[in-house]
Amino acid sequence: MKSFWTDRRWLCVLPLYAFTLVFVLGPVVYMVAVSFAQNEAGTGFRWAFTLENFAKMRDPVYVQCFRESFTLALSTTLLCSLIGYPFGYCMGRLGKRGKRLMMFLVMVPFWTSSLIRLYGWLILLQAKGVFNNLLIALGLINEPLKILYTYPAVLIGMVYGLLPFMILAVYTSVEKMDWTLIEAARDLGASRAKAFFTVTLRLTLPGLMSGIILTFVPSMGLFFIADLLGGNKIVLVGSLIQDQMTRGGNQPFAAALALILAAVTTVMLWAYRRLTGTAELEGML
Amino acid sequence: MKKKLLALLCAAATLLALSGCGAKNNSSKELVLYTWEEMFPQEVLDGFTQKTGIKIVYSNFDYDETMLEKLTQAKGGDYDVIIADDYIIEQAVQAGLVGELDKSIIDNYSNINPRYQGQFYDPEDKYTVPYGCGIPLIVYDPSVVDFEIKGYNDLWNPALKDSVAITANYRVINGITLLSMGKSMNEEDLDVIAKAGEKLIALAPNIRLIQDDNTQDALLNGEAKAAFLYTSQVTQVMSENPNLKVVYPEEGLGYGIMAAFVPVNAPNAKAANEFLRYLLEPEISKACMEYIGYVNTTGAADSIVDPSLVAPENAGTGEFIMNVSETANDAYNKNWIAFKAACGQ
Repeated sequence: MKSFWTDRRWLCVLPLYAFTLVFVLGPVVYMVAVSFAQNEAGTGFRWAFTLENFAKMRDPVYVQCFRESFTLALSTTLLCSLIGYPFGYCMGRLGKRGKRLMMFLVMVPFWTSSLIRLYGWLILLQAKGVFNNLLIALGLINEPLKILYTYPAVLIGMVYGLLPFMILAVYTSVEKMDWTLIEAARDLGASRAKAFFTVTLRLTLPGLMSGIILTFVPSMGLFFIADLLGGNKIVLVGSLIQDQMTRGGNQPFAAALALILAAVTTVMLWAYRRLTGTAELEGML
Repeated sequence: MKKKLLALLCAAATLLALSGCGAKNNSSKELVLYTWEEMFPQEVLDGFTQKTGIKIVYSNFDYDETMLEKLTQAKGGDYDVIIADDYIIEQAVQAGLVGELDKSIIDNYSNINPRYQGQFYDPEDKYTVPYGCGIPLIVYDPSVVDFEIKGYNDLWNPALKDSVAITANYRVINGITLLSMGKSMNEEDLDVIAKAGEKLIALAPNIRLIQDDNTQDALLNGEAKAAFLYTSQVTQVMSENPNLKVVYPEEGLGYGIMAAFVPVNAPNAKAANEFLRYLLEPEISKACMEYIGYVNTTGAADSIVDPSLVAPENAGTGEFIMNVSETANDAYNKNWIAFKAACGQ
C-alpha cells in the first residue's frame, strides 16, 4: 500500500480544498463574526460582542423589507412555475432537433450580461419606449402607460431573469421520465388528466421543486432588478444590505442581515431535501 | 513522471494562491489615482504622462465609504492621489490617513478660488486641492408642469403626482427635506429628524424613481416632469434639452466639494504633488470641468471655462452635508428606508 507521502495524488485536490477554505468558508466565518461586532460611525466597526445588529432588525421598517423580499420572491416563483412548467414539459416532449433548438433558444440570453438585458427592458417599457409607442400607434391607448418603475415592471424583470432555471429544471425531469408508465396508466383506464396528475406530475415533482428552489433562492437576494426597473422604490433585503455596506456605513448590520438571509435560504434547501428525499438539485447544468 | 509533474504544478499553484498577491510595484514611474469612474478626460491623463514620464494607474471606487475602507486597510498607503467627497475627507483626515501637501511642488496653489478653501474638512488648507464643486438642483419641464417651481417645497405639490425623479443619497434627500422645513441639513435633533421623516413620506406619492446614475434620463424619456439632480446631471440634461428649466431652490442649497488629497503613506508622494500641481493649471482645470460638468473651483480658469460651470454669486450660501452622530445617522437611514418603502406602495 502506498503511504500518504509517496502517493502524491492528494496534492491534486489540495487546490480545491484550499480554494474552498479561503474563498468560501473564510468569508462566511468573517461575515458571521462581523455580524456580532459593534458598528463605529464612519470608519467601520469594533470587535466587541453585541447582539444589537440583530435586535435592530425587529424594527418594523426592516421587517417590512424582509416581508417585501419574501412576497416578491414568492410571486416570482409562482409565475415562473406557471409559465416554466408547461414550457419545460412541452420541451421535453419535442423531437431531438426540436429539443436542441429550444435548449439553444433558452440559453441564448445568457450570452449577454443580465444588466444589459435589463437595460433592454428599460428601453422597451419606458413612457416614450417601444411598447408604449406601439400601443399608441395601434390606437389602443392615448397616453403612455406607466409600466416602468412599478411593481409589475419588477415582476416582469424577475420572471424574465429566472424563468430559464425553472424551464431547465422541469425539462431535465420530463426528459428522464419513463413514458411507458403513462401508457400503462392509460391502458388501465386512466384519463389523460388523471394520468398526468397521478404519474407525470409525481415523477416530475423533483424537477419542479428544484426549479422552485432555483428561482426562489436567487430572487430573495436579487435587488438590482427592483432598483433598475422599479426605480428603487421597493426596498428588498438585498438592497438594504448593499445600502448598509456602502452609504449607510454600517457593516455589522449588513452582515447580520446577510446572515439572516442566508439562514432563510438554508432552511429552504433543507426543506427541499426533506420533501423530495434527494440531495442534488435537478437541472443544475 | 507526468503525474509527478502535475502534482508539483498543482502544489506550486496552491502556494502561489496562498501567498497572496505577490510583490507590489513601487516604481517611481507610476502614480496610482483612486477616484470614481470617468472623472478625467483621457487627454488630461495622457498629457501628464507625456510631460513627466509617470504612468497613471486609474483605479475606481463607487462609494466614498468603499474608498475609506480600502484606504484604512492599506494604512494610508497603496494610493498616491485620491479624489473624494468633502465629508469623507474629513473622516480620513481625522483618522490620520491624509498626508500634508508639499506646496513647494504645488507652487500654483493660489490658482484655487478662495471660496472653496478653508472648508470644514481642511480648515488650514494643509491637505487638499479642490477638484470640482457640486450643487444639486431641481430641473423641470415647463411644457408639462403648469406652475413655477421655486424650491424644494414645490416638489410636494400634488400636481407632480408620480412624476418626480430624485437622486439616491439618503443624507442629501433627508437634507433637502430639512432645508424645506427651515432646518439644517445636518440636524442632530432626533425629533426634528423624525419630523423630516414624516414629511418625506408625504413626498412618496410624487416619486417616480429614485436613482443615482443617469437620473436625468427620466426627464428626457418622459418618465418624470421634475427631477432633483446632481450638478453633472444638470449640465448634461440641459445640453440635451435646453427648454428645461433649472431652479436654484429658494430654501438654500446643498453644497459639495470633491477634493484631491495625498494619502499619508502614498508610495509616490512626489509624483502625487506634481499631479496636483498639474490639475491646477487653468487649461487642465477647464478640460476636466467641461468633461465632468462640475462647478469650476480653480479660480484661475474661471475666465476660460464654460460660463455655466462658474458658480453663481449665491453658491457660497450653501450648506455641506457633514458627518453626524451615529444615532442621528441611524435615524436618517431609517427615514430613508421608510421613505423608499412608502414610494413603492
